Amino acid sequence: MKRKFGKIIFAAAFILLIAGMAPRWVAAQTRVSIGVTETMETFNPYGDSVSLLYGIWCQVLGCLGTYDFDKEKYVGMLAERWEVKEPNTWIFHLRKNAKFHDGSPVTAADVVHSFNRIRTDPQSKQKQNIAPIASATAIDDHTVKFTTKEPTAPLTEYLFDRFIVTSKAVYDKYGADVADRKYPIGSGPYKFKELIPGERFVITKNLDYPGMKQKKQAPDELIFRVMREPEQRVTALLNGEIQIAQFIPPHLRERVEKNTGTKIVATDSVEIMFLAMSPKFKPWDNKLLRQAVAYAIDRDTIIATLLKGEATRLDGPIGRGQYAYSPNLKPKYEYNPEKARQLVKQAGFPNGLDVDYYTPVGRYTLDKQISEAIVPMLNAVGIRTRLQTPEWATLWADVQAGKTPFYYMGRGSIVDPSVALSQYFETGGSPRIGYSNPKLDNLLALERQTFDPAKRKKALSDAMSLITEDAPAHFLWRHQLLYGIAKDINYKPTPSGRIFGDDIRVLR
Amino acid sequence: MTAYLVRRLVGTIPVFLLITLLVFLLLHAAPGDPASLLLSDNTSGADVAEARQRWGLDRPVYIQYLKFFTAAVTGDLGKSFRFAQPVSDLIAARLPATIELAAFSILIAITLAVPLGVWAGAKPNSWMDNLGTSFGLFGISMPNFWLGIMLILLFAGNFHILPSAGRSTYGVAGSRETGFYLLESMLQGNWTAVKDALLHMAMPALALGANMIGILMRVTRSAVLEVMHEEYVVTARAKGMAEQQVLWRHVLSNALIPIVTVVGLELGTLLSGSIIVETVFAWPGMGSLLIMGVTSRDYPLVMGLVMMYTAAFVTINLVIDALYGFIDPRIRY
Repeated sequence: MKRKFGKIIFAAAFILLIAGMAPRWVAAQTRVSIGVTETMETFNPYGDSVSLLYGIWCQVLGCLGTYDFDKEKYVGMLAERWEVKEPNTWIFHLRKNAKFHDGSPVTAADVVHSFNRIRTDPQSKQKQNIAPIASATAIDDHTVKFTTKEPTAPLTEYLFDRFIVTSKAVYDKYGADVADRKYPIGSGPYKFKELIPGERFVITKNLDYPGMKQKKQAPDELIFRVMREPEQRVTALLNGEIQIAQFIPPHLRERVEKNTGTKIVATDSVEIMFLAMSPKFKPWDNKLLRQAVAYAIDRDTIIATLLKGEATRLDGPIGRGQYAYSPNLKPKYEYNPEKARQLVKQAGFPNGLDVDYYTPVGRYTLDKQISEAIVPMLNAVGIRTRLQTPEWATLWADVQAGKTPFYYMGRGSIVDPSVALSQYFETGGSPRIGYSNPKLDNLLALERQTFDPAKRKKALSDAMSLITEDAPAHFLWRHQLLYGIAKDINYKPTPSGRIFGDDIRVLR
Repeated sequence: MTAYLVRRLVGTIPVFLLITLLVFLLLHAAPGDPASLLLSDNTSGADVAEARQRWGLDRPVYIQYLKFFTAAVTGDLGKSFRFAQPVSDLIAARLPATIELAAFSILIAITLAVPLGVWAGAKPNSWMDNLGTSFGLFGISMPNFWLGIMLILLFAGNFHILPSAGRSTYGVAGSRETGFYLLESMLQGNWTAVKDALLHMAMPALALGANMIGILMRVTRSAVLEVMHEEYVVTARAKGMAEQQVLWRHVLSNALIPIVTVVGLELGTLLSGSIIVETVFAWPGMGSLLIMGVTSRDYPLVMGLVMMYTAAFVTINLVIDALYGFIDPRIRY
């Protein structure tokens, strides 16, 4: 009996010990932890090309500018203003009071140095961001000239939020590796504190940055923690380990909302989801069949049911808030299975036809389930569809090589659609869809050479109208990005997924 | 003994050759191009071609393998496509996390499974035996990723007593020169950091070690059962030796050979299990790095990690074989 009692006491003591050992998961007053999905592996600001890291480096090291989704325009950060002198010459004027964290001024030489690092650093994964630029020259301490290979009206789409400016002096003194690892001295509103690859990135508020002293509610410390699994992010949020959880899938929304201390905040993504129908393959060379697919799919029902309303329908390549968006593109492709059936017959398939349809699995929100809903809709209009679900690496390699005729896919990071439209639909662009239309090529070339915003928007709108009507792709929706946020944090997420510390307000 | 170990070491060379060749061929046979997977969506065809050339992917596979192998022999595992850093540096940065987790898992497994197995074996068909057997079956049957998620939901999601992910709390851990958080914190006497490291490690270690606990418990039970009927055990009892002494001194020490063998075998399983568990718990070790390497077809990184895993398997087996001689003096090499 004595022995049994002893065991019970021991067990109770053990449980109490474990419970007592648990730390108090209350963050410091102005410390905000964010559960993020992307990897953070390299100290080299040019060594990776993921949107999260661009955002972190941008607010630590500094970048030329960013896209303001509220104002729907590009705004300068290090660049005070910019102008197009000649069609191939862009002049960027730097802020004269911009200073690195060690007190030294940010100069045009640093911008040119950064350009050269992006271009020549053996670890650089960002060469595509400066692809249209032939050279960068310092005109004076605060003026930089970029010469483009050909007129490139959407140059800010390439550079802003992507062009990270690092110190030339630090690089010259220590070399790339030591400079990146030990002296990540930047000019942004936050300073580098700690990076543990694969685990976390910590940055602290830079009170010397103009206006930061006034932003008292902006967190003093921001901790980005890698949490790839959505369950993990939600649990950590409810457990108080993090205060912001990126990208909550629709099925976990309720868990976050039911919890008294957390809320869900949503924003439209800048990633567009579409069905690609490559005209270089039969039967997709038939425009009527492509349009039949567009009429056959009931997007509104998929959004309302599967996606629980957490997506916004697209009636063209882009949506509201993206540059040159027009709500008047035609046709709208309302769900009309009868019309779809007629189009299938008119396309020369009176008895219907068999096609293979490829979808990624687990790459995008509910991608496989969405495709499983699309298949019967296509079957119902006579397009007998076999669903193929290859592993992502296989599918993506085939899509990149132009070997996949009919597939579901997303294209992210579209603020100004110029680059994406050219990539997917211009003759000589990527072979992903293999569409070619001289009229569209002319429109896309025209918009790139048109620096007047109104005229350029018109050219882009005409191009998008043509693509919508010709339907080499059927544009479906933009998913909403759901963020789980602690109630004592005020944060409005951006459609690009970029997270700036000075956009966050700590209310406690 | 030394001659035996040298023979065994020499015998590992063809093992390495075969495994690296097999993995290399399988990786290259798998569809998916590293250049198109790793470069940005905006990258031009020319940049993709340039990357392929820079990484040597434009050359025949056998040339690529020979280049890899000759460099690997000199200790150069190449540079990761994705991170553009030496693979050996990437592995060195992640290795301590995996070792620490695996070591803690083994510790938990041995501490729980061996006493349970001994008690169950000593008193077959008792309530203790039934409890231990059920416990063992539970450990064997649970897939570690599922158990991991359940543990997170229970201890982090409901009870809020353990952190759901990661290796340490920011601002708590002390210096991290070696990457062994727990060991380093203990040596520094930083008990707050020790506590923090233990709390972070508790759930992943349990999820990782659950399978081993089950198997080890079952093996210990049957080994003890077998030894219990040996004459020297009966003699020890006849001499009037206390039951506890008989059990721990005579029974367990003679039952150790199968137990140690299973520990060795299970260590290998533990390493492969860590690939999943590290992902579930956002544990920044070699397993999560391997997942990243495979999904992005980062050939040098995957090859380097596979070589590390192979080396670990071979070393563990070698150590276990060497241990036999110490456990049972009758065994001579």
